Amino acid sequence: MPTSRDFSPVDARRTVLTMLHRARASHLGSNMSVIEMLMAMYSSIDCEAIRDQHDDRSRVVISKGHCAAATYAVMAHHGILPFEALDTYHLDGSLLQGHVSHAVPGVEHSTGSLGHGLSVAVGCAMGLRVRGHGSTPVFALCGDGEIQEGSIWEALMLAGHHRLGSLVLLVDNNRISNITDTASVIDLNPLRRPFEGFDMDVREADGHDVDQIASAISDLLTTPSPGVVICNTVKGKDVPFAENSALQNYKPLDDGLLAEALHYLDGLESRAGAR
Amino acid sequence: MRNRIIDTIFERMSVDEDLFFLTADMGINLVERIEKAYPDRFVNVGIAEQNLISVSAGLANLGYRPFAYTISNFATIRCLEQIRDDVALHEYPITILGTSTGYDNAPLGPTHHVIDDWGLISAIPGVDIYCPSSMTYAANLVNHVLSVGRPAYVRIPKGGSDAVGTTDHLVKVAGRSGGTLLATYGSAAQACLDAAEREPEFSVLVFNRLRPLEDEDLIRAISPHDRVVVVEDHFADSGLYGALCRLVVRHRLNVRVESVAPDGYTLEVGTNPEYFARRFGFDADSLIDRWLEA
Repeated sequence: MPTSRDFSPVDARRTVLTMLHRARASHLGSNMSVIEMLMAMYSSIDCEAIRDQHDDRSRVVISKGHCAAATYAVMAHHGILPFEALDTYHLDGSLLQGHVSHAVPGVEHSTGSLGHGLSVAVGCAMGLRVRGHGSTPVFALCGDGEIQEGSIWEALMLAGHHRLGSLVLLVDNNRISNITDTASVIDLNPLRRPFEGFDMDVREADGHDVDQIASAISDLLTTPSPGVVICNTVKGKDVPFAENSALQNYKPLDDGLLAEALHYLDGLESRAGAR
Repeated sequence: MRNRIIDTIFERMSVDEDLFFLTADMGINLVERIEKAYPDRFVNVGIAEQNLISVSAGLANLGYRPFAYTISNFATIRCLEQIRDDVALHEYPITILGTSTGYDNAPLGPTHHVIDDWGLISAIPGVDIYCPSSMTYAANLVNHVLSVGRPAYVRIPKGGSDAVGTTDHLVKVAGRSGGTLLATYGSAAQACLDAAEREPEFSVLVFNRLRPLEDEDLIRAISPHDRVVVVEDHFADSGLYGALCRLVVRHRLNVRVESVAPDGYTLEVGTNPEYFARRFGFDADSLIDRWLEA
């Protein structure tokens, strides 16, 4: 059962910026590119079941583990985590690490080394099917650089062969990998081509349109094959000094940059409200 | 021994619906009956060992008890990070079954020599390591790992004898009191037992479990001896030799520890395990020639 959404991407971005600033943590760009993807995933499923750890809950595996701040923020906005927990993000002794951790209630699997999470999601989908819950959604979120890891394709081959229609992979196609733009390292464009070559059902979406992503998810969950949503995103979305910057991704936010970012979001919100 | 372990898994799957069997396309004429009897709880992931382990983790998330099966070297080294991050870090009760140890696959060359596997696994905390050295131990092993409920790696030698048939993790065949103690496990154990049968000077300490090791039991077994010779088909420093050296240092035991083990990867052809046993000195004749005290 989908969960209604009573917050906006701007709300989520404010939360993430505050978390990153407090902790002087990095990966600003990587977190900003997945906000709408996370919102689409969590609003497509029963978040109460995740919060209460029902056995047959949907599984969300964040394979791109370094978007932990965004994941925790969206989970809090969806009522899976208490907001107070976010205050400890990335501080000494906290369980809210910079890469998603299963020590946090509601997080299925600790990730951080890229390429693991999709296989775990495949196992979850298989297990749910055997238990009679073959249509319960299982999501994996990975990055466009992450799909360079061979293990991703091991997972996709198996998922395709077993027609795991409940599995949907969302790819954060922000076109910047670790140190440079992804295509200059390995150019797989058009990205849908390798996925279709592995018998995936593929959709593309504006990665910053929650409804468009959610619609693609909903459509893919009706097909017998595993689905892939290529979400075309901007690294550092809606943080002008961080947009499309590989370097800024690793820099912490100081007071000045935080103020600048929040002011920009306020402006976005005002303009959206005025329309 | 491998067949015996698969037999017990097959039997347990009939009464325990949480058991799940995965293979990385290994086990011809062995795993087919599991697939036929329990198609829902069997998956061949293909020649994809990283996927083997991570898919097992996904199943464990659902509450399944996966057994992940392939040849020992592929089951460990190829997917070491998956074992570390997806199994050990999550404390998932996944049992990794590795077939062949040491030079069991001698003619296949160094990529298939399993002489560094459990040493690498032992670098990861929280994964128990078993090396069944008798059929009796092997027959009870599945029930044991299921009752313990921890991540486990089981390295299964080819063949199998029941010369020291026991379900104990550690068993001593006592020779002359104070004489040389041969400490061993797996495929190398038989040569040590043969040597001891010919020369009662030797006592033999056979390990069925390499981690955890119980210090008190080891100290009790070792203390009567002036010299322990660790005989293994695995690199020494990362193997049992290293573990026993650490024990001696930890407890300041007054005992010499020696090693008989492979000293590196070999490119030369060896068409059978006995070739490498002679090459590195862990056949019965070599043990007697070198280690029998005058």
